[in-house]
Amino acid sequence: MNGSPLPPRAAADAGIDAAAQDAAARRLAAHRRARLRAGLLVLASQVALLAAFIAFWEYMTAFDKQAAFMFGSPSAIAGFLVTMASDGSLWRDTYVTGVETLLGFLVGNVIGTLIGLSLWYSRFVSRVIEPFVIALGSIPIIALAPIIIIWFGTGLTSKIAMSTLSVVIVALVTSYKGAVGVDADQINLMRTLGASKFQIFRKLVVPASLTDIFAGFKLTVGFALIGAIVGEFMSSSEGLGHAIFKAGSLYIIPKVFAALVATIALALILTFIVGKVERLLMPWRRLG
Amino acid sequence: MSAVVPPAIAAGARAPVQAGAPPLVVAHVAKSFDADGRVVPVIGDLSLTLNEGEIVAIVGPSGCGKTTLLNTLCGLIAPDSGRVSWFGREMSGQPAGVGYMLQKDLLLPWRTALRNVMLGLEIRGVSLSEAEERAHVMLDQLGLHGFADHYPTTLSGGMRQRVALARTLVNEPDVLLLDEPFAALDFQTKLLIESDTAKLVRESRRSVLLITHDIEEAVSIADRVIVLSKRPTRVKAVYDIALGTERTDMIAARESAGFVDYVRRIWADLDVTRN
Ligand SMILES: Nc1ncnc2c1ncn2[C@@H]1O[C@H](COP(=O)(O)OP(=O)(O)O)[C@@H](O)[C@H]1O
Ligand SMILES: [Mg+2]
Repeated sequence: MNGSPLPPRAAADAGIDAAAQDAAARRLAAHRRARLRAGLLVLASQVALLAAFIAFWEYMTAFDKQAAFMFGSPSAIAGFLVTMASDGSLWRDTYVTGVETLLGFLVGNVIGTLIGLSLWYSRFVSRVIEPFVIALGSIPIIALAPIIIIWFGTGLTSKIAMSTLSVVIVALVTSYKGAVGVDADQINLMRTLGASKFQIFRKLVVPASLTDIFAGFKLTVGFALIGAIVGEFMSSSEGLGHAIFKAGSLYIIPKVFAALVATIALALILTFIVGKVERLLMPWRRLG
Repeated sequence: MSAVVPPAIAAGARAPVQAGAPPLVVAHVAKSFDADGRVVPVIGDLSLTLNEGEIVAIVGPSGCGKTTLLNTLCGLIAPDSGRVSWFGREMSGQPAGVGYMLQKDLLLPWRTALRNVMLGLEIRGVSLSEAEERAHVMLDQLGLHGFADHYPTTLSGGMRQRVALARTLVNEPDVLLLDEPFAALDFQTKLLIESDTAKLVRESRRSVLLITHDIEEAVSIADRVIVLSKRPTRVKAVYDIALGTERTDMIAARESAGFVDYVRRIWADLDVTRN
């Protein structure tokens, strides 16, 4: 083709014009500032709410020994956090539970996502296994804990297995939903470009499912953590679940809360990491 | 008509290609759908021919089966009866050397403009560097120089449709099947893209089958306009368009003497009555 380029037309098309672009940049900056202000206001309100709650809790338990025993008090919880941090048990328990959660999360999501995506290949197979997946998904994982301990022992493996099982069905279902939800016209387009089924899978279905897969990741961070902690409840010698269970059976309620604070922090850190990886892997989502 | 065998067809041909055969011949194609156990005939008995270097527009009432026809032509669905021949060869399945474009740009959001244009070349196993080179050239030709690294979400509707057009043209198809590709664009953008499309395809003597519900678009761009009837659809009328202007300038075409008359006659044929 010996085509002549048509830049002026595209420029008109895109509405490119220096003055307009300048004004647009200024508007964008103003918009950003407004958004930042709104974000700061939300954050300030959240901090204030939390502070008020903690103050109320402290006040209610400060002069009431009974209440302090039943509900703990923020200062006692803080005290336990400091002791646990200085004797190293806080870090050790958080690390153990973190490793179990992370491994369960990874194994469960890798297996679940691989199966979920590959089910796109065969409508027949997915219809055959659908009722089984639903049945397995409805089993409360805690009911499996005794069997898991018999099968995998009382060490790390059984916690990872619990965590994996809490994740795998959700990962399978979300990734399968993502895969079959791909626009039929988009598949037709790939076919008219001559794509094989595998090319359609790799170049269209997998990347198009990423949004759903990551939605599954965010959901399953929490499930993986619950699985690990439930596993630790059943039998363990370390981990946050172990700390919670032990403090609970000894009626040291502030210590239970201290371990819970560490659990929440762990969940937040893992969720944050998933969000970071998502933004890294899907740069186009940040735009537009 | 030129006797040169288009390379894309010749390369993949197993059966002999008839030299000089028109790019597309549709003979007595019929297609019904099964809707809740009821058989709904969509394409009645449809025949048409697309000659080399010709732009043919198909207009018809909405829901009459235009998209169904196009899907049948490019092998996405099989007709119940009738024949579809590409360059004299009867085909079932995907024809080679045919580009397809819809109203939806269907750009992949995770690919930049350049990588979207490269999609078909990648699929056919063209080396990455060559694909990149050709995609750049194509984007430049469509006036998208400097937008290669933009993701679709950062482009305007008109620019996205230009990228989609580049993605189709970069494969150097002998025939373009276009299904209302400009319907979602604003009037001004539409005129510009129509003109550029006409220019590019007429320069390279590609054949185009353009489906549209926009009669003015059909008359201004096409050499021939085929009017389809309501469902079950068949050819109701055919107009050879002679406007006496350069057929790459949509504004001039719309201002030419015969334009309004064609539009009025086709409008009457479409028989849009208020029920
Ligand atoms: N896969 C299908 N199954 C059943 N009916 C269909 C299918 N595809 C299209 N139709 C019907 O065929 C008719 C024509 O559709 P279409 O070709 O999209 O019309 P147009 O593109 O002319 O607006 C419509 O009534 C539509 O409901
Ligand atoms: Mg249609």
